[in-house]
Formats: sequence, structure tokens, C-alpha cells
Amino acid sequence: MGRLKQKGKAGAAKAYMTRSAAVKKLQCSLADFRRLCILKGIFPREPRSRKKANKGSTAPTSFYYTKDIAYLAHEPVLNKLREHKAFAKKISRALGRGEWSIAKNLEDCKPTYRLDHIIKERYHTFIDAIRDIDDALCMIFLFASLPSNDRVSPSLIANCSRLAAEWQLYVMHSRFPQEGLPLHQRNILPGRNHGPGCHLARTISVYAESKIVAVFYNVRGTENTAFRYHQTVDVRVMLTFLELYQTLLGFVFFKLYTDAGLVYPPPLDASRDDAGAGIGAFSVHTVEKNIHISKSDNVGKTASTREVRQAIKTITADQSFVDEDVDIDSRDFAPKPSEVDEEFVVHPSGGEDAIPSLPTLQSLSETRKSTPTSLFSPYTFFLSRETSRTVFEFLIKSFGGRVGWPTSSGSGSPITESDDSITHVIVDRPVINKANESAEEKERRRKRKYVQPQWVVDCINAGKILVEDLYAQGTTLPPHLSPFGGKPGAYDPTVGLSHSEEVLAEEVPESEDGQSSEQNEAEEGVGGVVETVNVRDVDGAESLRAAELAAEAAGMEYGTFEKEVRKLQRKREKKEKAVDQGEEDMGKMLLSNKKRKLYERMKYGEKRRAAEVRLNDLSAFRVSNPLAARNFAEETEGDRPKATW
Amino acid sequence: MARAAQKKRKEPEQDEDSKSAFAEAVRLEMLSDEEKHEGKEGGDEESDEEVDEFPEINAESDSRSDDEGDVEEEGDEGEDDEGSSPSDSESDSISDIFPKSKDIISEVTGHPKRVYPEIEPEYDSDSSTEDDPNRVGNIPSHWYDDLPHVGYDVNGKRVLRPAKGDELDKFLATVEDPTSWTSAWDKNTQMDKPLSPEELDIIRRLQAGENPDGGYDPYGPTVEWFTGKGKEEVMPLSAAPEPKRRWLPSKWEKQKIMKIVRAIRRGRIVGSKPKTAGDKPQLYDIWNEPPSNQPPPLPAPKPALPTHVESYNPPEEYLPTDAERKVWENTDLEDRKHDHLPQKYSSLRLVPAYDLFIKQRFNRQLDLYLAPRIQRTRLNIDPNSLIPNLPSPSSLRPFPNYCSLKFTHGNARVRCISTSPDGAWVVSGDDAGNVNLWEVNVGREISKWCFDGKIGAVEWCPRTDTSYFVVGTEDKLHFIVPPNLPSVILHATQSALAPAALPPATESPIKWSSSPGQEDGVILTILLPAVSGLTKQIAWHRKGDYLATVSNRESQGSVWIHQVSRRHSQAPFKKIKGAVQLVLFHPIKPHFFVATQRYVRLYNLAEQKLIKTLMPGIKWISSMDIHPSGDHVIVGGYDKKLCWFDLELNDKPYKILR
Repeated sequence: MGRLKQKGKAGAAKAYMTRSAAVKKLQCSLADFRRLCILKGIFPREPRSRKKANKGSTAPTSFYYTKDIAYLAHEPVLNKLREHKAFAKKISRALGRGEWSIAKNLEDCKPTYRLDHIIKERYHTFIDAIRDIDDALCMIFLFASLPSNDRVSPSLIANCSRLAAEWQLYVMHSRFPQEGLPLHQRNILPGRNHGPGCHLARTISVYAESKIVAVFYNVRGTENTAFRYHQTVDVRVMLTFLELYQTLLGFVFFKLYTDAGLVYPPPLDASRDDAGAGIGAFSVHTVEKNIHISKSDNVGKTASTREVRQAIKTITADQSFVDEDVDIDSRDFAPKPSEVDEEFVVHPSGGEDAIPSLPTLQSLSETRKSTPTSLFSPYTFFLSRETSRTVFEFLIKSFGGRVGWPTSSGSGSPITESDDSITHVIVDRPVINKANESAEEKERRRKRKYVQPQWVVDCINAGKILVEDLYAQGTTLPPHLSPFGGKPGAYDPTVGLSHSEEVLAEEVPESEDGQSSEQNEAEEGVGGVVETVNVRDVDGAESLRAAELAAEAAGMEYGTFEKEVRKLQRKREKKEKAVDQGEEDMGKMLLSNKKRKLYERMKYGEKRRAAEVRLNDLSAFRVSNPLAARNFAEETEGDRPKATW
Repeated sequence: MARAAQKKRKEPEQDEDSKSAFAEAVRLEMLSDEEKHEGKEGGDEESDEEVDEFPEINAESDSRSDDEGDVEEEGDEGEDDEGSSPSDSESDSISDIFPKSKDIISEVTGHPKRVYPEIEPEYDSDSSTEDDPNRVGNIPSHWYDDLPHVGYDVNGKRVLRPAKGDELDKFLATVEDPTSWTSAWDKNTQMDKPLSPEELDIIRRLQAGENPDGGYDPYGPTVEWFTGKGKEEVMPLSAAPEPKRRWLPSKWEKQKIMKIVRAIRRGRIVGSKPKTAGDKPQLYDIWNEPPSNQPPPLPAPKPALPTHVESYNPPEEYLPTDAERKVWENTDLEDRKHDHLPQKYSSLRLVPAYDLFIKQRFNRQLDLYLAPRIQRTRLNIDPNSLIPNLPSPSSLRPFPNYCSLKFTHGNARVRCISTSPDGAWVVSGDDAGNVNLWEVNVGREISKWCFDGKIGAVEWCPRTDTSYFVVGTEDKLHFIVPPNLPSVILHATQSALAPAALPPATESPIKWSSSPGQEDGVILTILLPAVSGLTKQIAWHRKGDYLATVSNRESQGSVWIHQVSRRHSQAPFKKIKGAVQLVLFHPIKPHFFVATQRYVRLYNLAEQKLIKTLMPGIKWISSMDIHPSGDHVIVGGYDKKLCWFDLELNDKPYKILR
């Protein structure tokens, strides 16, 4: 007999640790623990059995890997946090006693920490970091547009807006394709849902070396002044994330700028900034390599860029097949937002090709072709004052266009309104006929195209210049669609109504089944004839013709005959379906419990998706054909799938 | 000392007062009261006297006496004393208690100062020679609280307590005398004494939290006694020689400083670095060095990208109807499938601010650091591929889908049925004890046997060269040969069941009794032990020599294995756990299956040991069968389950069908 196994000495009991145990082990406060977890990217784990992990207790606690906690215990930042605690005690003591000089000395030696090593640990390669900067950019842009208060210092806000501007500057500057870079790769997806002080939240996806893939305006508009701190938002948490993200973006931008041969940080012209030049206040300088960078540095850099490219290549090679599957499937199972557990499904990464996949991007690259970066290069734009200058300046410049704006939107416009080179004016107001226009103005108006802002965005998404007439000033705009598409099989609004009409046309007669029984009985006799003819087989066209002849001989009208045939066909289909159902049930009987549940879940998802598509089909049908829709609605009262909103 | 002196100084005045105004007793009281009052004001008086003790005060008093004539002062006092009216006397006494001070400019210092009238060391001022109105002496008055007298005078006579009015008098006094509420009881004189306006003033001041001294000026100018011009002290106060530490550098301080200096030199103490450099994080190419060979942490999952629903200008069909809107508004925040309703704006400039953006970002961050993440591989398969590919039922046709023959039995329930190995005959047994033999082809009853009690089991012998079946009844097994057999088979059957030379009998509780001559075909009967009960199952071995029976009495002897050729029966189990439901012979090996209520046990009969226990997980096993190859067993249960065991695998079912 071997040694007795003691409880709690191996397995889940050792591998997991509750949060309170972790805090105790690290000897820090809960707030410090949270801070560490955020900085180091440690998150709770769900044990297979909570009971086994928690000494038989099923109390609701969060669990961490014991190894993760051991990893945190060696963190230098943890020591710094402890030092900071001591410092806070010392300084409060000094302040309480009114010992100002001591307080000042203490303040001078305030313990600070750096996050370089954490960045390096969390993002082993530049690609890893680039892949994760979307959250970071969102936060930076958010805080760049927030007002400062006692918790959020103005210097922090200023740093955020500087980083935001640097990002935009880089994207605008590096629109020219880098030689040798595989252009169809997209591995960056930042700026999600947000723009710099923008009129609207927007979604910008950018691929390798910062190429904008898609822009999408959604209703989550964000006016500068409208941002408020919410009661339910813990600013401490946000600031900790921001701390990490600022450092991350600093290093990422440094790498991006230096790889592009630019000076980082780009020098800021204070006078131009004061005049409201926005991004124009920054100037881009190329580094004169033989002066600034030593030879060895140069070698290292080229090597690293090559590595980056290699990495991108491997990503595509691996992803092209595997990741798409994963992605599609994850969308199949797309859970409700409330189910947090479901949402955080980590896609496994293999041992050798350890660069984890980025499914959303992969799906993007599958569904969309890249937008040429010189899309707007032949055109010159003028932004009227009601459009958001920062957003459209960024978008148009990123795609090679020239852009000007009135002085009310800020200084630094390269062209004035009367410039002859202007081809498009972006206006967002209704048409007003001016009575006293001079001939010159009329001529200018005739030469230029007046379009609404959505045109720019839709052009970028479509990857080509769209017809301006649809977007002309004052017209009703076509719908603005998301470039991120939907899940496969989801409803596609761009597909014409023909399909849905067919579907509905099929559905409508089905509802006739519930006709009055009298009528059915009356037709029974006639139907009998047809049935005798058709029961043998309706499939063959010849036999159908024969049946038709027979029916004619029996004195039946063609319309009733057709109806009968259709009815018979439907009946037969139903029967077949029932048989299929029976076979499926038999098959299901043989499944193990696990597989049966999986099967039922999959079927449920399929059904739900189908219902969604059908719902949208119905809506489209309703919109395009209100009268028919009303009739249909009356016929199929209660048959309609439940609303999903 | 000082107080006594004061007392003495004042008493003569009081004396004169009282003489002129009141009777003796009254006078006595007045005096004592005065004394008490003085005691109260002692602090003030003392301070005055303390002032007196200063040399300068003396000087002042001197100067004052120079300024104002002593005579005049005296005269004033004299006048006061002579005043006969009680009010006068009061004011008089006041002036005595609080001698009026005067502010004058000192000649010496040139500063204003307060001067009090000098005390005349006259005969008047000394009260020691006066006779004390308090004749009992200075004794605690409470000694005589319950006595009629208040003490003894110098002559040893009792001093009686003055008469006190009754309650009515007291009341009348309060009503008639307007000063009664400003009077207080004096223990020494044993009567009420009205308070003087000065005393009342003191009380008022104390109540108001002011200084009780009326003449005290809180806002008076600062008097510089020792400082200021001309008051510098030139001479040292102490003549002690100055200590060394005043003019030698400290040794200990030097040592301490040297310690710090050494620490700085050795680098243990580092001066604070310049502030400007450390402010900004230094950026460098952090990914220049090769990455560590540890696997990178798994990236966090990305949030879903916005879809058409979230567009500011979505297609019309995405807009919710009123009913949908209502449903959405009525659902809880957590239950909503989408966190916002699609909304259409005709123009970009009309889109309002999105208020929940910061909240959304915050939720994302909460997800990032608080939500447990589970690694899960997604299956991307067609759900239908999970279902095993079964042959379509239509391909398995023809099914027996109509009734071809019907055997009508008697009234009793048929409990068991068995077909002959060649399929031509069916034998059935019922509860009434009837066993019927039917011919399958025509559905006719060929023969019928009647037994006592129920028929528990009927089983045809699997041998093809012989033809007989076994009927199990209460405690008995009957071997029956059907009628009209071909002679060859009949002969073989008879020789098998009732051979001419019987095998040697063995010791067994079971008796085999053959009755070959009987016409009804019952050729052999086995008498099971009396208590074994109804035989509920008969299982033949494939070769037809052995058969096992199971009786329904759940005792140890419920299972028997009989060998027909040797006419020998044995109980394979001395003791068996659980009630045996079914038994089964392995078709090839000498193995024996025994199904109890929940388990199936497999025994090796040759080695007489348990091989394995199959656990079907069925609540109550109802049926069991084995494939002719001997590798697969199926076990059915009353809970609608069917388990398929592969004997080469473990003791768990290979598949469970529901």
C-alpha cells in the first residue's frame, strides 16, 4: 500500500488560491493586489470544481493560479508598492507635524516604479504589443477628451492627448506602403469605437504598419464636453490601466517612429498648438541616420523589422486555415454579453507557432479587400465648419487627400475656401439657396462636389470612390453599414429583397392551411382525383403532365389542380420531414449525454440565428412593401418570431 | 496672617456701624458676615497685599502718600464711618473692603500705575482688643446643629440660638421684605443677611463669566516691568563660570557628522537626484533584444466589433417597431441582448453624445482583470455529423408489420413462451398451470399439459438431434417430449433423457425421477429442494447438456445447474449477494453470467471464481443476452435503458441506449 494521500496536498487544492489567500500571501492591500493584477495581466481562473479548489467550500470566491501568485510575489513593483506605503505613512506624519522640510525631502525621494520589464514580459514581441494596442488606444483617446479633476491630473490628460496625436500623426504620415511589406496583412485593430475629441465614436481598424482598413460611425457619439465621470466607474482601476497603456504606447510609438526613420517624440510647436492647429502642431522629422544612429543600432533595427515581417508571414500562414475556423465558430457560439465567462474564451495557441491568432482581423481580411492608401490622393477637400475637423482631417490625410478647413475649426489650414483646387466640400447641413451669389461663387459651386460626411467613410469602407450624387448635400443618405460584416449566415442588408420575398411568398400559402374546414371538405372530392393520379409520383415532369391530363379529363380547373398538386407536395414534404425527424431521434438516442447536449446546443444556436435572419427579412419586407406586410401580418398573427431587441 | 490682619483692620468700623444702627445681636451678625465676606474676597485682598510686598509698590505707596494727603483719606473714611443710615454703612463697608484705587503717573518710571490707599497701622486697625461679637469662638457650627444653643461664650455660658420664625413668618418675610431674595443665611450669626450691591455685582460678574473684580481693566496698557528702554539688566544673575560647551565645538556632533560624511563618501548615502531628469519615462527600443523563450501570455479576447445595428444610420429593417421598443425597455439591463436600440439619424451632426462610453470602457477593463477566463476549443462541425450514421429504417425492411397468426389461449395469463430450435413449434405456459404446444405454421394447438400451480418458465432444448422442452413449476422441472416426433428423434430423445443404463447417482438434495412410460410425454422430472419456489428462468447451455434454473425464493439455493447426461444437479454458489434475476451461459467458454438487481457478475465455472462484475448502471435489470461470439452482452433494465458491454473492454457499458 502506498502512502496515504492527504487532502488538500495535491491537485486543484494546491493549484488554485482564493483571492484573500493571495492577498495574504503577498502581504499587500487588496487595492495593491488589484493594481498588480492589472499591471501584470493576471486574471482569475475558474477551477473545474470549486469545491475541490476551496477545501470543500462552495462560497463564491474568485480563484487564481498559485503559480500566478508566486509570479506576482517576485514582482519588483510589489516591493515598490510596499515602499510607497511606508512613504505615505512618513509623509502624512511629517505633514501632520508641520515638518515641511522633511516632507519636502521625502517627496523628493518618493519611490517610483517603471513598467518596462512588465511590458517586455507581457508582450514578448512587437507584434504581440501591436495586437493589443486597441484597448490602449481607446483608453488614451477617451482620457484625451475627458476633463481633469482632482483624481485625474491635467498632466495626465495632456500626456494622453499627446499620445493620441502622435498615433494619428504616425498613421497619417506612414500611409505610403512600405516596400516589401505584405499589404494584405492586417494585424492591428486599434481605435475601436473612439476618435480624438470626435463628434462621433468611430471604429477604425488598421493593419500592419498602420493602414486604415475600415471606418465605421456608430451612434455612440462622443462630444468633447459630454463626457462625464460615472458614479459606477472606479477611477482607480481606469488610472491603473491607463498607466500601463501609456507606457505600452510610448514604447510602441517609439518603435514605430524609429522604424519609419522619424524622430520620436515628434516636436510640438507650442504657438501652433495654442492656435488650435491640433495634429498640425506636431512636426515630423526624419532622423539623419548617419548622425543619430550608430551602426550597430541600425543592424539591430533592420533585423527586428525583418523579424516582424517574418512573424506576420507566419501568422498568415497559420491563420489562413485554422483561425478562420476558430473565429467562425466563436461567432457561432456568440454568447450574450452578460455571460462574462462565455465571452472570455481564449483561443489556444500552439507550442511552436506561439503567436496567437487574431480572429477578428483574420475574418476581416477574408471578407474585405484592402483599401488603397492613395484613395483620395487626386482630390482636395474642404471641411465646412459643422463637420468634425479632427476626424475628417485624419481620415482624408490617411488616404492621401489634401484637406482644408475654415479658421473657425482651428488654424493651420493649408488652403482657403476660395482655393480653386478644392474638388469636394464636406457639408453636413441642409441646402440653403443664396439669392445674391456672385458669378464667381456660382462657378465655384458648380465645379465642386458638395457631399455629406458619410461619403468619405463609405468610400474608405468600399475601397473606391463612390458616386457622389447619393451623398449630395441635403439628400437622404443611404444606410451606413458596418464594414465588419456579420457572422456567416447572418442577415445581410446589402442582398436585395428578392430572396426574402421568395421566402415570404413560400410562407404565405402555408398559412392558408388553416382555411375553413367546409372548403376543405368541398375540395376533398376533387383532391381525391388528383391524389389518385398523383400519389404514384409527382416528381417526374411526365407523370405530372399525365396527371394534369387526367385531371382535365375529370373536369377539374387548372388553378384548383395546381393548388392540389402543391398541397400534395407539401404534404409529402411534411411526411418526409417527419420521417427524417424520426431517424434523427433514433440517432440522438445513440449519442452519449455529452454529445447529445452539444448537439442540442448547436441546434439551438442554428435555430436562433435563423430566426434572427428571418426577423430581419420580415422587417425588410415590411419596409419595402408595407401593404403586403400588413396582410401577411394579419395572416400570420402570433407566428412572428419574438423581437430580439 | 494677611487675612487676619485685614479682619482686624476692619472690625472697628463694623463695630461703630452696628452700634449706631442695630441691636447687639444684629450687630454681631453683621460683623460675622463681614468677616465671612472678607474670607471670600481673600484672593483679591491677597493679591493686593502681594503687590504691597514688591519694593516698587512700597515706593509707589510712598509717592502716593506724597501726592495725596493721608489726612484727607482719613477724613473721608471718618466721614463714612460716622454715617448712621444702614445704606450708608453698607457703602461704607464696601469702601473699606475695596479701597478705591487711583491711577497715577509714577515719578520713577514715568508710567501710569494703580495706587491703593495706605493702611494706617492705628489702634483701629487692630481688632485684637475688640470684643468679638461671635461669642462662641471659631468652632464648626454643625456641632450644635441639633442643640438649642449655638455654643458657649467666654464665660462658659450657653449662647442660645436666636429665635427663628415659623414657616409662615418665613413666607411673610419673603412677601413683605423686598430684599429677602437678595439675602443669604449666615451660619455664624444664625440669621439671613442681605447681600450688598457689591456682592450682588460680584455674583452678576461671576455669572457673566467676567472678572469678579469690578475695577479690573482687561484692556489696560501693558506694563513693562523688566523690559524696555532703560531696564536692561547689566549684571549677570548668576556668578557661576561659563561652561566649556559654550565656546568649544561639540565632540559628539563632530562624530555624527563624520559618520554621515563617511557614508556619503562610501556611497551609502546618495543625495537626491535632480528632479527634472526622472520625470519622463525613458523610451527605448524595448523589443530589440531577443524575447525570452518562455511562452508569451495568452492575449485577452477581443470585444465584438460593432455591426450594422450600431450604425448611426442603419438600414430601415434594423429599426425596432414600437412593440419591440417596449419589450426592450421593459427588460432588465442584464437580460437585454443588445445594449442599445438602433436609432436612425438623418445627418451626422444630429448624433448626440454617447453618454455611456466611459462606462463601456470600464466594463471592458473589469472583464480584463476580474473575469475568469476559460480556455476552450471551439468545435466547428456540422451538428448533424455528431449523429451516428445509422442505416435507414426503410433499408431494413421488411418488418413484421402485420399479424399473421393468433394463438388464443385460455383465460389465464401466459407467462412464458419458447420456440423449438427448428422454429416449427411454440410452447407456452400460463398462470393456471397449462402448457400448450402450438404448431407455428397453422397456429393450431397440438397438445396440452396441465400442472399444479403456475408455470414459471418454459424453454426448448437447443439440441437439434433431440426434441424436448423443460417446464419449470413450483419446486419442479418437467422434461417433456412433444408428441408425433419422428422415430429417430424420439429415440434419441428418450435415450438422452431416460437411458437404459442410468449414470451413477450422486449425492445431491435434488432428485431426478424418470417416468418413461407415461403417455403425456413428461419423461423426466427434477424435484428441486422444497423451499426453492417457482422456477422463474431456465437457461440452456448452447450444447444442450447443461441447463441452469433460477427460482424466485431469494435463498442461497435459488440457482441450480443441471447436467442432463449425468443426471446431476449442483448449486454453483454457496452464498450469493443480492437477488439473482437472470443467469446465462457463455456460448464458448465455461463462463457463467449472473445478473442480480443491479450488477452482472461473470464467473468462471471451471476455476470457480469471479472474473468480473459488469456495472450497467441500471436500477433493475430485466433482461440479458449474449452474442453467439461470446464477446458482447446486452443488458436491459426496467428503467428503459439498454447497456451494451464489450467483454474485452472494462466493466462499464460500451454504449447505453435509451
